[in-house]
Amino acid sequence: MSRESAPARGARSHRATTGSRWRAWLRHHRAMGQDSARRLLRHPLGSLLTMLAIAIALVLPAGLWLALDGARLLDAELDESATLTVYLAPRVEAAEAARIEQALAARPGVAETRLITAAEGMAEFQQALGLEDALTRLPGNPLPASIVVHPVETAPAVVRDLAEGLKAVAGVEEVRLDLAWLERLRHLAELGRRVTLGLAVLFGLGVLLVVGNTIRLAVENRRQEIEVVTLIGATHPFVRRPFLYSGAWFGLGGGLLAWGLLTLGSDWLAAPVSALAASYGASFSLPRLGPAGSAMLLACSTLLGWLGAWIAVSRHLAQIRPR
Amino acid sequence: MIAFEHVGKRYGGRYDALAHLDFRVRRGEMVFLTGHSGAGKSSLLRLIMRLERPSRGRILVAGHDIDRLHHSQVPFYRRQIGVVFQDHQLLFDRSIYHNVALPLEIQGVEPREAARRVRAALDKVGLLHREKALPIELSGGEQQRVGIARAVVNKPALLLADEPTGNLDPQLSADIMRLFEDFHRIGTTVMIASHDLALIARLRHRMLRLHEGRLVADEEAA
Repeated sequence: MSRESAPARGARSHRATTGSRWRAWLRHHRAMGQDSARRLLRHPLGSLLTMLAIAIALVLPAGLWLALDGARLLDAELDESATLTVYLAPRVEAAEAARIEQALAARPGVAETRLITAAEGMAEFQQALGLEDALTRLPGNPLPASIVVHPVETAPAVVRDLAEGLKAVAGVEEVRLDLAWLERLRHLAELGRRVTLGLAVLFGLGVLLVVGNTIRLAVENRRQEIEVVTLIGATHPFVRRPFLYSGAWFGLGGGLLAWGLLTLGSDWLAAPVSALAASYGASFSLPRLGPAGSAMLLACSTLLGWLGAWIAVSRHLAQIRPR
Repeated sequence: MIAFEHVGKRYGGRYDALAHLDFRVRRGEMVFLTGHSGAGKSSLLRLIMRLERPSRGRILVAGHDIDRLHHSQVPFYRRQIGVVFQDHQLLFDRSIYHNVALPLEIQGVEPREAARRVRAALDKVGLLHREKALPIELSGGEQQRVGIARAVVNKPALLLADEPTGNLDPQLSADIMRLFEDFHRIGTTVMIASHDLALIARLRHRMLRLHEGRLVADEEAA
């Protein structure tokens, strides 16, 4: 288009290079990032409440995930303690018991054995139950000798086969397999994992709704502005950008609050949890969000905020048509 | 610059807002669009801005059939057109400067270059000294001049105005029209919808008269 006033200037403005377009894009991102943060800060209480709603939605699945992470560590520990207890017949003498132990140790699939004589068994029993007085009054030692067997492989089927084999050995009265409760624990852990995943999906949707609703109101408040910029040639990404930044800021704020709540919560629960674990003779403490976990939480919350805003704005942009 | 070929616009399947429109506007021409309220002036402008699409016929702007623009191209098409509204459509939460800078911001013009162009546009409408003011602090006539500055800041080839003097007294209206004539003089194609016949009769430009959606008169400048 020729301009009598300033033809050279007009020509130059039409020759937008890729570099300058890229710089303009970055400039707008920076401007919108700052502008949307300022808008959030202009209504601190409202913004805080939205972030808190997001944080609460995030804390429950994140906390459960942490607890499960702890349970997985415990599970690994338990795996090593998958042992068989072989009870010998009461009439088997100490020397005979030692011979049987050696025979068991030599079997394939057995990693390690430990003989607990009748006397040792009694001593352990007394110590554990504090029934010294009552037990000394018994006429003899009612406990049989036993052998603790550590299998090489801890897979339930293998251990069960091994137990069958051990039962056939002469002098063995009973083989106890402590697998049932271990399996139960594993099922519980699997249940926990699925519940956590389900909750994470549900509460993630909750975050989308919270952000989406907030952004919907923001879009409604700036309707005239959207109409005007659309009239003078703004593209959809341009119109969407400030709202996407708002959503991301809400998400990030919510994520930071959730992080704080989780840290406070695990501090608060740490003492009773380790006391409880100690009473079972285990050392278990609530795992904490490490740097990777924290980064993951913040990334997820920011992404959810952004996505919630995207859905809300896109739905609205289709409805807003300049008058 | 603009060509309407057998254009019709029908709303709701029955009501013809515009029918049988056939006319051309040459590049650099200044044209008034007149008629009573409801004659179809705004609908016609909305068609050119591609806020609406014709039910029949085709509209060529700068040689392109604008109905065939992909919706992703529409924003870039609109950037070639400056639009002035009766109610100015200024954003009341930002200064005069930032209102005028808006089209440049959308186009990603370098801030220093944008500042130069915004000041040039404000200078042209005589409001350079008010650049830091908010729209609410300005009179109706001044707000309209800000609207014009925003419409011309990116030097559009085509300038459209929908009742730009609708709310102004005769003296201010004449001032506003003089501004449009200035842009016409430097080569911009200008199309102004107005029902202020007394005013536009004095200005001696081509006049397209609409009545009930039809073009009833096309009077060349006397």
